[in-house]
Amino acid sequence: MGLFDAIDVAGSGLAAERLRMDVTAGNLANAETTQGANGQPYRRREVVLQEAQPNGPSFGSMLASASTAPPAAGVQVAGIVEDQTPPRQVYDPGNPAANAQGYVLLPNVNPVTEMVDLISASRSYEANVTAMQSAKTMFSQTLGLLR
Amino acid sequence: MSGAPRRLKNRAPRPIHSRDPQGGDRRISSPGRPAQEPLFFCMSLFDTTQLSLEAAMRGASLRQTLLTDNLANVNTPGYQRKDVDFHATLQQALMAGQSPDQVSFSPTVDSSRAVRADGSGIDADQESADLAENSLDYEALVQVAGARTNILQTAIGVR
Repeated sequence: MGLFDAIDVAGSGLAAERLRMDVTAGNLANAETTQGANGQPYRRREVVLQEAQPNGPSFGSMLASASTAPPAAGVQVAGIVEDQTPPRQVYDPGNPAANAQGYVLLPNVNPVTEMVDLISASRSYEANVTAMQSAKTMFSQTLGLLR
Repeated sequence: MSGAPRRLKNRAPRPIHSRDPQGGDRRISSPGRPAQEPLFFCMSLFDTTQLSLEAAMRGASLRQTLLTDNLANVNTPGYQRKDVDFHATLQQALMAGQSPDQVSFSPTVDSSRAVRADGSGIDADQESADLAENSLDYEALVQVAGARTNILQTAIGVR
């Protein structure tokens, strides 16, 4: 069932890119958060993607008596990691989060980087949607042979 | 090719028995062809063309999956793109006299394209172009297969 494979693969890409967008949006929302969950300034997060490994023959390929695993399994999220670059320091003695020297530690979030990531994720999402539509068109053409 | 001459040798006595002195020449007119070869081969419902079309459609749908996989992994560091040249595989099989429905396609890792800084070789534009090309390819195959089905249906009086 090659075409259904293509739709599944595109679906995994959609899920991965959506997660990237969610995480990037979270970074942007927390661009000025001085108190994170652990009392430290927020650290920007990044999604690490990896190629999904096909896990054995599927039901469809067993039916087709093919002993081979599906050729492609799409993409999966390996994890969400925190960016370990040091936080920005801004001199602002009036801020309640300022330390003894009057410096405030701000998250290592650069809004420009986040915007670029957002555009990248959005475009990749669109590419996956196009691929899925293309596979759907191919499949309905094949069904059209029966008419 | 060892089968054909042996068969001719085995059948050789019969025409001599059944035929007059001036006969016998007609047998020799087609020496290479075994006597039982089906002459209606091309009129079979699933002839080589139909089987080739089917095999090419299998190849195109595999390629669609692989190209979709490449697009899904456009942001995966170190990913190597996969592709399948099903046209070449099918052509080689046909040249070698293999039946098209016995042909199986397997994906290959393609490291010929430029690699980005993160080790991934995926160019989203290139993959999208390949995807569009492949789905047109598939559409053409489906159209031809459909036309052949229509011809058959007309011939057997379904429509």
